[in-house]
Amino acid sequence: MNKEIFDMGRIDIAWCPGCGNYAILKTLKQALAELEILPANLVVVSGIGQAAKAPHYFKTNVFNGLHGRALGPAVAIKAANPSLVVIAESGDGDMYGEGGNHFLHTIRRNPDITNIVHNNMVYGLTKGQASPTSPIGFKTPVQVNGVFLEPFNPLAVAIALDASFVARAFAGDIEQTKEIIKKAITHKGYALVDIFQPCVTYNKLNTNQWFKDNTYYLDDSHDPHNRIEAFKKAIETYKLPLGIFYVNEDKKTFEENVGELTKSNKPLFEYELDMKKLSDSIERFKSVSK
Amino acid sequence: MSGNEAMAEAAVLAGLDAYFGYPITPQNEVTAYMSQRMAEEGRVFIQCESELAAINMVFGASATGKRAMTSSSSPGISLMQEGISYMAGAQLPAVVVNVMRGGPGLGNIAPSQSDYFQATKGGGHGDYRNIALGPATLQELVDCMPLAFDLADQYRMTVMLLIDGLTGQMMEPVILEKKSGRKLPPKDWALTGAENRGQRIVRSLLLGNGALENLNYQLQKKYRHIEKNEVICEQYKVDDADIILVAYGIAARISRAAVDMARENGIKAGLIRPVTLWPFPSEVINKAAENFRIFLTFELSCGQMVEDVRLAVAAKSPVLFYGRPAGGIPTVEDVFEQIRQLTFKEKVEK
Ligand SMILES: Cc1ncc(C[n+]2csc(CCOP(=O)(O)OP(=O)(O)O)c2C)c(N)n1
Ligand code: SF4
Ligand SMILES: [Mg+2]
Repeated sequence: MNKEIFDMGRIDIAWCPGCGNYAILKTLKQALAELEILPANLVVVSGIGQAAKAPHYFKTNVFNGLHGRALGPAVAIKAANPSLVVIAESGDGDMYGEGGNHFLHTIRRNPDITNIVHNNMVYGLTKGQASPTSPIGFKTPVQVNGVFLEPFNPLAVAIALDASFVARAFAGDIEQTKEIIKKAITHKGYALVDIFQPCVTYNKLNTNQWFKDNTYYLDDSHDPHNRIEAFKKAIETYKLPLGIFYVNEDKKTFEENVGELTKSNKPLFEYELDMKKLSDSIERFKSVSK
Repeated sequence: MSGNEAMAEAAVLAGLDAYFGYPITPQNEVTAYMSQRMAEEGRVFIQCESELAAINMVFGASATGKRAMTSSSSPGISLMQEGISYMAGAQLPAVVVNVMRGGPGLGNIAPSQSDYFQATKGGGHGDYRNIALGPATLQELVDCMPLAFDLADQYRMTVMLLIDGLTGQMMEPVILEKKSGRKLPPKDWALTGAENRGQRIVRSLLLGNGALENLNYQLQKKYRHIEKNEVICEQYKVDDADIILVAYGIAARISRAAVDMARENGIKAGLIRPVTLWPFPSEVINKAAENFRIFLTFELSCGQMVEDVRLAVAAKSPVLFYGRPAGGIPTVEDVFEQIRQLTFKEKVEK
């Protein structure tokens, strides 16, 4: 399948020239095309931000919700129709700041969705304030003397919560990022892909070159089923590892746990009205209220 | 200095002790300005992880008796409503600035006045009110800041300042001065350390028999007092007017010019401009309605304040509405045209 099936044709794109978002969008479409996922079977859910605009440039089913709240609707869409492929895609501020609580509890819930985070370590859309992942010392018009808060470490947090799939990628490397995204989408259960994304306008510290110089790929010696090793990798700071940190295939998904719903894997809208069941329960209520 | 920055400086001069914010357009200049100025003054500035954190930090700082504020724009203010309701229950002072944008939902960042209901009717759950101020010029905006803190402290409640993105970006000369005319009661409820005195408790949970009912009566008594004593409103060329515009904030600026244009064209128009949106200048409007006149409410919304104008007029005169939602800003000529058509219709009817 060709990735163009997801392209919108000629549209205005609100991103700055040179922004890492272009590469992520293209890579994601490529990954979906290679997995033969049809636009009709896909829903891309986002919050608010530059990253969260990505679905606007995507020819598929799109749900653009509240700032910080992409995960709730994504979980619900998957629960209502488990046959859909659901991707929740947003920025670092959206997912880890405003939506931080949802991030934690969605990992615990383990829905079979893919969570893609464009991590540019800054609030892009609101013009350059520090985000939860901004590094210590990062100066902005608000953090005039530099950030002094410990940066949020999404991978370490996800591994601590035994998330079922945890990976990090870099927007500048389309080939490897595509492979990581493909594995995340085919993985059964919640999959986090945190993608380093250069913001050419508001993050002059973590540039394309900076990411190249300060990252390396995990090699075959890394066992993604070893949670302790995965955690160790997640808290490395001298150079930041990329790749698949942790996988736990043994967890039941939210949809499986809900049971009744997934026994038939039948989406909610396909259920037919069972008149007998309905009238029985009405009768039951009547007798209770007597 | 932009409106947003002038307002921030006015808050600093008014003795703001602690500012809490979260980025949102069109008020990011407030947060940026505060981050520098509050540090210079050795006061508290925090960029929060969300608006929920911001309003709860305001709640906490206020509980210690310090002057605390936050600013945001419509969607962020919606998120803060739970905290504002709790502060109303706990009777704590706070200043909240809403640089309004178009809604519902994410809407857009264009100037709007569609949060009037939210600001003036309480906004969150429960029987409570906030004082709501709707300044129309930058001078009035900076003058409203010390007033807002004083009102908040005097009545132990939230004072909400409503402006819009255009006012926030506007440049106008202003005179900033520390004005604190009011004699404020001592903060004998603040959590200041309990040495040599009894325990103090900040809460809005009242389970005891009749306790919540009592609190509500107490609040209502306070609100009636405010309605009687704290109304601020400007009347412009109202005395002999056949048509009275009612507008606040940015819409009032346009209306004032439209009134002048009408007068130049021989139409007797006037303007009633509420500065306090709650308490609403109902009496002023009711009095003006005694002689039959046409009231035209103009808002950058689909019609919210017009409901209060109708209640105030109490069917003594007709009340009409003109407005545009979500970023459409009518020009002075547009408003004048509305006035002109009304006089024309009136003549035909006569
Ligand atoms: C309730 C609410 N608060 C604040 C905002 C303003 N806002 C829009 S996007 C954003 C942050 C965007 O940062 P991030 O998620 O990192 O995305 P980026 O723009 O960097 O891609 C904020 C604070 C909003 N839209 N809604
Ligand atoms: S501000 Fe940064 S993140 Fe937003 S479009 Fe521009 S480069 Fe990309
Ligand atoms: Mg970001």
